[in-house]
Amino acid sequence: MMPYFKFDFFSADFSLVVAVIIGIGFGFALERGGLGNARILAAQFYFTEMRVLKVMFSAIVTAMLGLFFFTAFGWLDLSLVFYTNTYIVPQVVGGLILGFGFVIGGYCPGTSCVSAATGRVDGMIYLLGVMSGIFVFGEVFPWIEDFYYSTNLGKQTLMDWLGLPYGMIVLLVIVMAVGAFVAAEWGEKKMALKKAGGSK
Amino acid sequence: MKLKEIFSKLTLNVKLASAAIFLGVVAFIIGNPVNNSIAKVDMQELSTMVQKEVDRVSVETLADWIIKGKSDYRLIDTRTEKEFNEYNVPTSENIPVTNLLDGGLLRNEKIILYADGGTHSAQAWFLLKAKNYMGVYILQGGLEEWKDKILFPKLALNASPEEKAKFDKLAEVSKFFGGVPQTGTSETAMTAAPSLPKLSASASAAAPAGGAKKKKREGC
Repeated sequence: MMPYFKFDFFSADFSLVVAVIIGIGFGFALERGGLGNARILAAQFYFTEMRVLKVMFSAIVTAMLGLFFFTAFGWLDLSLVFYTNTYIVPQVVGGLILGFGFVIGGYCPGTSCVSAATGRVDGMIYLLGVMSGIFVFGEVFPWIEDFYYSTNLGKQTLMDWLGLPYGMIVLLVIVMAVGAFVAAEWGEKKMALKKAGGSK
Repeated sequence: MKLKEIFSKLTLNVKLASAAIFLGVVAFIIGNPVNNSIAKVDMQELSTMVQKEVDRVSVETLADWIIKGKSDYRLIDTRTEKEFNEYNVPTSENIPVTNLLDGGLLRNEKIILYADGGTHSAQAWFLLKAKNYMGVYILQGGLEEWKDKILFPKLALNASPEEKAKFDKLAEVSKFFGGVPQTGTSETAMTAAPSLPKLSASASAAAPAGGAKKKKREGC
C-alpha cells in the first residue's frame, strides 16, 4: 500500500535515491515548460506570461486527482501522507519574502536550480543567494524561533477549513483551476494587445 | 461523423480540461474516498498468515518487551472501559472493538491486540487486517494466559531443579508486574483465586509518556 516509504518498501537511505530520480523528473518538466527562463518567470507578476500559474495548477490538479482516486481504490493510505502544520503568520511572512525575491531576481529556489543546471549564470548567482539566505536564517534562528512556531493551526486541509467533503473540494479546485486557465489566457491576450497598442 | 469532427478539432488543452472536470464530478459523487464500513479481503494472504501463525505474540515475549522498555509497539485492550479499569496489562491502551478503526491506529504501526481469551482479539485482528493494517498481532491466550503464565506462574510440589530455576526467573517477572508466584505448598492454596494486582496510576500513565516512538523522518 502507498505511501511506500511508510510501509517499509525501502530504507531511509534508498529514499534519497528515489528523491534524486523524482527530482530529475521535476527539473525536466520545469525546464520543458520554460520555467528555467527568468524572463518568463518574472513576467508572471506582470500578467503578460501566465506559464507559472498554468504549470502550478496543472500539477496541483493532477496530484489531487491521483491522491483522491488512489485512496478511493484502496491503494493509498491518506492518513500516512505527510504535510506540514499551518503556522499561518510566519508562513505568510515567508511567502512575502519569497515573492519579493521572485520578482526581483526572476526565480524561486527550485527554478533557480533548473536555470543553473542549463548553464545560465544568473541562475547560478541566484542559487548562491539562496544558500547565503539559508545560512543567515540558520544563524538568526535562535532569535526568530518563537515567531517561527507561532500561530500553529495544526494540520489544515481545505476540507477541515471549509467543512466540505473531500469530493466536493476536488470538484471546486478543478473548476477554480480551469477558470484560472481561461482567465489567464484571456489576460495574456489582453496584455499582448495592450503592448501592441501602446508601441504603435 | 460530425461528433468525430468536433472532437478532433478540440485542442489538447480543452480535452484535458474536460477530462479533469469529468473526474472532478466523479469525485464529487464519490464524496469521501475513505470508506470505513466496507472492506475487501485478500483471502489468500490472510489464510496463509493464519496457517503460518505469524500473527501471534506470546505472553512471555510481551512481558520481555515491557520489562526492556521497548516502545515500538502499541498494545490494545479490546475489552470495555470498565474491564480495562479493573486491570489491564501495563503499556496498554483501551480501544473497544467498535472503535478500532477510529481509534487513531496507523496502518504501519506494530499493533498487538488482546482480550480475555483469544476470540475477541482474533476477531479484531481480522477487522484490522481486512482494512490493510500491516503489523497486527494477537496476544496468544489473551489475559487468561497473561494471568496464568506471567502474573501467577505455578510451580508444582515435585518440580525438578531445572524447573525450579526456570520458575525463579518467572517469579522475578511476576513480581515486576505485581503478581504473586504460586508455589504449590498445598492444593487449597492453588485453588484460592489470587487477586489481580492493583494498577498504580503511574504505571499506566508512564507508558504513553515514555514511549519515544521511532517515527519515520518526514518533513523539513
